[in-house]
Amino acid sequence: MSAIVVEDVSKRYRLQTDRAHSVKELFTRRDRDAGTDHFWALQDVSLEIEQGSMYALVGHNGCGKSTLLRCIAGIYRPTSGSVKVDGRISTLLELGAGFHPDLTGRENVYMNATILGMSKKQIDGVFDEIVQFAGVEEFIDSPVKIYSSGMFVRLGFSVAVHVQPEILIIDEVIAVGDEEFQRKCFDHLYTLRKQGVTVVVVTHGMATVQTMCDRAIWLDHGVVQLEGPAPQVAQAYLRSVNQAEAEHPIHVVAAVSVEEADSDGAPRIKSTPGLKPDTGIAPEGEHWGSGELRITAVEFLDVAGVPIEILPGGSPLRIRVSYDCAQPIENPTFGLAMHTEGGVHVTGTNTRLCKLLTGVVEGRGSVEYETDRLPLLPGTYMVSVAVEDQFSQHTYDRYDLSWRLRVRQDSDLVMHGLVDIGGEWILRDDAS
Amino acid sequence: MSTPAQVWSYRTLILNLAQRDLKARYKRSFIGWMWSLINPAATLGIYTLVFGFFLKGTAPIGGNGTLNSFAIYLFCGLVLWNLFSGIVNTSIGTFASAGPLLTRTYFPPECPMVAGLTTVVLQSLIEAGILMFFMIILGNVSWTAIMILPIFTLMACFAFGIGLVLGLLNIRFRDVSYLVGIAMQVLFYATPIVYSLDVVPANFQRILLLNPLTTFVYAMRQAVYSLELPTLNNWLVMVLAAVTSLVGGWIVFGKYAPQVIEEL
Repeated sequence: MSAIVVEDVSKRYRLQTDRAHSVKELFTRRDRDAGTDHFWALQDVSLEIEQGSMYALVGHNGCGKSTLLRCIAGIYRPTSGSVKVDGRISTLLELGAGFHPDLTGRENVYMNATILGMSKKQIDGVFDEIVQFAGVEEFIDSPVKIYSSGMFVRLGFSVAVHVQPEILIIDEVIAVGDEEFQRKCFDHLYTLRKQGVTVVVVTHGMATVQTMCDRAIWLDHGVVQLEGPAPQVAQAYLRSVNQAEAEHPIHVVAAVSVEEADSDGAPRIKSTPGLKPDTGIAPEGEHWGSGELRITAVEFLDVAGVPIEILPGGSPLRIRVSYDCAQPIENPTFGLAMHTEGGVHVTGTNTRLCKLLTGVVEGRGSVEYETDRLPLLPGTYMVSVAVEDQFSQHTYDRYDLSWRLRVRQDSDLVMHGLVDIGGEWILRDDAS
Repeated sequence: MSTPAQVWSYRTLILNLAQRDLKARYKRSFIGWMWSLINPAATLGIYTLVFGFFLKGTAPIGGNGTLNSFAIYLFCGLVLWNLFSGIVNTSIGTFASAGPLLTRTYFPPECPMVAGLTTVVLQSLIEAGILMFFMIILGNVSWTAIMILPIFTLMACFAFGIGLVLGLLNIRFRDVSYLVGIAMQVLFYATPIVYSLDVVPANFQRILLLNPLTTFVYAMRQAVYSLELPTLNNWLVMVLAAVTSLVGGWIVFGKYAPQVIEEL
């Protein structure tokens, strides 16, 4: 049985710039051309969502995902086509929308739940659960303006999932919370699904799509590119993103150079001529160290020693760390680590763990870490590099989560997760 | 367009929205909801001083034959005016501030409008209660005062229809809120509130009577001050104004609100 049927839906928006903003403009702007003052956010989109399934909308920003969600939720009316929805909808388009900053958490919970269609009695029944799930027990009677953004988000999510919806519509909001809360959300969504709730999500997390969703649709500029089983759609989408990236490379491998420390000893990062600008340093990355030895560049190289920006999964990789050492240092420890963007520690090693003595280091030089086959699955990994003393007790220079290593997928994806364990299935017939 | 029945099915939401507005309005103020009484009291005091005392405005003799208070006479008209201007202004503000909600979850856009209407009507009922309290003290009461209820209802419908349309327009054209500010002032003085209709020259009286508010205020004073029933003619004007405005406003709002919401 289908919970949602979208048939040939098109949605046209008026371009706001061409709209008369004041009464005066209404009279003076006679040159408005009827054909140019709108654009199509959705064009002939059709889809069907089974009851009790989880459906994903994917595509780059501005592709029409949110418009489609709003059409399904009944907030926007399609310009043409029809949307049929069977069941009570709860929307989660923006967490905490409708929260009044001056009212207490309790008052806002009641308010928000009523907006989502619950009666006071029903809310009374699930109120404790809502508060507990959000983990804001101590603050429930304080105005929500004192809430941290995390608490705000948690309370909003908690209300939306506890109003016993038959259809739950979620727009990228889950990505806001911390790791633990995200996991809690997904667990809860999973439970809801088992109870027969239909879930429609917009997401950029392809892992979510592949592992949790049944079907997906990929939109580009309002036009359906592909609709089908979620893993296939996610793969096709990823492949196209990779292709686009290969054509217009972002400077991922960048080198940094560290300028002389300020008078107060705080090192500053600055690009120097001859090196690529430090675009590869992720904004969230941190950098510290005492500075006797400085990392001057970090490069990702392929087997021929050519810098690469996107790495095919399972191919050789060399990471070169260049340094400049102002004074002789005995047996410094060079280390590197990789994390997922979500912060999961994928791997990490250093010369001390590998029982490698680096000897006395002085002046300029470089260290390389080489592997024949990087067993990572497609995705973006954050690379950290550090140089410490021989006991790993003192940090000379360290860049945390500062480089993005993109791993691309060339063949069909045969595994989910982070690591390619490289095995294969063997079918045996015991009777023989 | 949402039918009134659809909107009614959202009554819990409407009630909650109204409650939220009322609660949030006086949060963190010392005397809280008392402000809702002090405001009209101050206005009444100022007008009495200026128009009654300085300008020597006079009021006709009340229904009990002895009451002759300009302040009370003024108050009768002011209560009704507050209802009108309150509804129009609240409607304009409500639609704009309900934007974040309306673009993120579905419910009939009429709901916040009705909620706003409810808060203003409540406020006006309190003011009417105070008016009646004074009337009782002054011994100027009669069963005709019950007519406040139908007059209030008709006035609320009249103002709500206008508010719905202006609320919509205000999103498209930012000029609306400024224009309304001026129009309200003009309308206030074009309605015999701080003066009585008889002090106006005859030809101007005819012009003032084109303004439905004149009839509303007149009917109100007949019922509460002079203790007489408004004429059939009065009722016709009021019903016609209320029905035209409400039905027209509701249809226009229902038709254009979904489009306007997309631009919020």
